[in-house]
Formats: sequence, structure tokens, C-alpha cells
Amino acid sequence: MNSKDKKPFSKDIILLDNVEEAVNSIVNKMRSDTFQRLHRMGGVIGISGGIDSAVCLALAAKAYGPGKCFSIMMPEHDSSPESETLAKELADKFGIKAIKEDLTGALAGFNCYGRRDEAVKKVFPEYNPKDYKMKIGIKQSGLYTNLPPVFSVTIVDKDGNEKEDRLPVKEFLQIVAASNFKQRSRMCMLYYHAEVLHYIVVGTSNKNEKEQGFFVKFGDGGSDIFPIGNLYKTQIYQLAEYFEIPQAIIDRTPTTDTYSAEQTQEEFFYQLPYPLMDRYWYGYENGYSPAEVASVMGETEEHVKSIFTNFERKYKTTEYMRMAPIRDYYGK
Amino acid sequence: MRDEIKQKVTTYVLDSTFAEKEKIKDDTLIFQEGFFDSMGFVMLLGFLEEAFEIRPVDADLVEENFESINAITNYVINKKAA
Repeated sequence: MNSKDKKPFSKDIILLDNVEEAVNSIVNKMRSDTFQRLHRMGGVIGISGGIDSAVCLALAAKAYGPGKCFSIMMPEHDSSPESETLAKELADKFGIKAIKEDLTGALAGFNCYGRRDEAVKKVFPEYNPKDYKMKIGIKQSGLYTNLPPVFSVTIVDKDGNEKEDRLPVKEFLQIVAASNFKQRSRMCMLYYHAEVLHYIVVGTSNKNEKEQGFFVKFGDGGSDIFPIGNLYKTQIYQLAEYFEIPQAIIDRTPTTDTYSAEQTQEEFFYQLPYPLMDRYWYGYENGYSPAEVASVMGETEEHVKSIFTNFERKYKTTEYMRMAPIRDYYGK
Repeated sequence: MRDEIKQKVTTYVLDSTFAEKEKIKDDTLIFQEGFFDSMGFVMLLGFLEEAFEIRPVDADLVEENFESINAITNYVINKKAA
């Protein structure tokens, strides 16, 4: 965009002016990509009861027709029961076939839970998965500093008493690696059904997740298309309103649904609520000055500079996750 | 003692970032410049605990203590003296 055409930064600058036009553009491309480019007959989608998969399901229903969509709920031992209820309600609303594939057995086979619990016990020897829930999260607020966040582990006993400690590197890596079996197992199950039906896998990652690296490589990052991959969460909420997604899904706080204790995405990774983060990210991505963004957002210029630096660091340091396997070693 | 600590920190930083020696000076802002990511920071903390037998507490996790080789060296010296 020519700098003289650039609109002044405002809180509403991120909003889609014409949601219907955006939806039509997405579904037209989904159709041509799926049928003409990828030569598949429809789409398989994993539904979690969250807003991203809900909007993707609605888009797929519009793009392919409900008869060419197939949705899969993939609960496992640590999933919230609410996720399944909401996912079923959603599939029913759009008339899309939904099946349940419980991944607990597969994950137990990988020793996902055992490997994770072993690492938690090294930090808290009293931890026992029967009596405690656990989660990991960001220890300190890294938003206004150039230091990356450090992760902590929290255990919660049956009475709700919490204990938190910083995660040493080995235990952190083990917990993350073990937990990533979940996203990768879901990807395997989605591709099983996609191949059986000769469909594609419709990925549900959004712009924030892809660009800030909040996904699992070859897990939820493994799919054939990402229809909302260039949309901010704020815009996804606009699409959700357009499709009349069940209010319970719209109102639900985005969670990771990965660890046994309740945990929001903000707490785990983003450190900012979506409405704020999206607007800062928009400003950063579109070259608005920290001073201009700060005056609109009611923040100090210094803080906005730090937030921009934080975004830049996240983007740079998660490049590995977005990279396809490298093959240019020898030969053409 | 300062030189010994600084040498160990420098070696660690250069080895773990695979950076060329001339690219990371004593006062290079290693986080701001993107040499270390989140994992790099956690690993750095693990290294400091092991190599210098110190235990960084939450209040220590501020930029001033870790932003460069010089800052880390000062932090270790102060922590050991405390």
C-alpha cells in the first residue's frame, strides 16, 4: 500500500468491512484449491468446541456442502467434557456428520501421559496424576522486556491448592515433547479419515498461531489448507457472528485444552487478550509507528515498542516451525 | 574471578548460538538481536545454575541481568557475592 493511501491507525482498522465478501472469497478458493488443485472430493476437519474449528467447519460446509464435510471430535484423557458437547452441537447445526475418536488409548500407547508425568514429578515429587491436575504457563510477563518468557509448571490438588515452580530445561522439553503427541495423534487420525474418503484435511490454525508459532509442527500445523490462516482472531469472531455459531462457543475463553488443569491461551502463550494483541499485531505488521499505535491504544510508546520487539522475536524464533523440510542439498 | 566467569559465559553463548565470534561482542544485546530464543533463555539459566552453582529466582529474571555477556557476568558475580 502506498504510504499516502495508508489509513490512520484506529482500533477499528482491523475489522473486516464486508464479512460476506470475505466469506465468499474464502469459500471460492477452498473449492478451487480442494477440487481443482488438490483433486480431492471434500474436507475432513477436527472439531474441538473452540471458535477456530467452528468457523472452519462453517466455511467448509459452505464451500463443499455438508455432504462433503466430515468432522471428528478427538477427546483424550485430559480434554474438557464441555469441548465434546459444544463440538457436537456445532456439527448438528451445520448438518455435518461428526464422529468421535477417543485418542486416550493411542496416547497411552505412546506413553504420552507417563513421559509428561515423569517430568512433572522431577519438579514436584508429590505430584500424582490421580490426585493432581497440572499445566504449564509463562512465569513472568515478558511483554515489556526483550527477555523471552520462562515457563513454569503448576500442580493443583483436589482442594484447588496450587503450587508453581519454574521449569528446568530438561523437564520443560520433556513435558512439551510428550504433550505434542496429542496434536500429532490428532493429525494422524484426521489424515486416516481424509485418505479413506479421498478428502483433504482442513487445518484450523489462525494468523496469530501461525505467525507467533503457537502450534505443533506436523501436529495442528499439519494440514492441506488453512482457510483462516491469514485472519486475526478479531476477524474470526466477525465470521462466527456471520455464521451464527452457537453463542456458547463464541463466549468460550480460548484454551489450550492440552493439560489437565484449566488454562487459557493468554496464560499459556500470548500474554495479552486477543482484542489488544490483534490490534498491536496489525500495527506492527503494517508498519505503524509505536507512537501512533500508543496514542490510539492508550499505552506508552515505550510499552508499544517492547510489544513490537516481542512480536518480532516470536516471529524470528519460530521460523523453524513454519519451514518445510529442507531438500536443496544436492542435485536439482 | 571476573575474567574466568566472563570467559565461561562467552564460550557458552558462542557455542549455544553457533554465532561467529565477531558477531557477539561483550555488550551485544543477545536477546534483542535474536541470538537467543525462549528455549535459549531457559537453557542459559540451566547453564548458570550448573556452572556457577547459583539459583536465579523470579525477581532476577529481568533484562538488565541477562541482556549481554557483560550483564550476565555482572549478574553471576553479584549473585555469588550475595
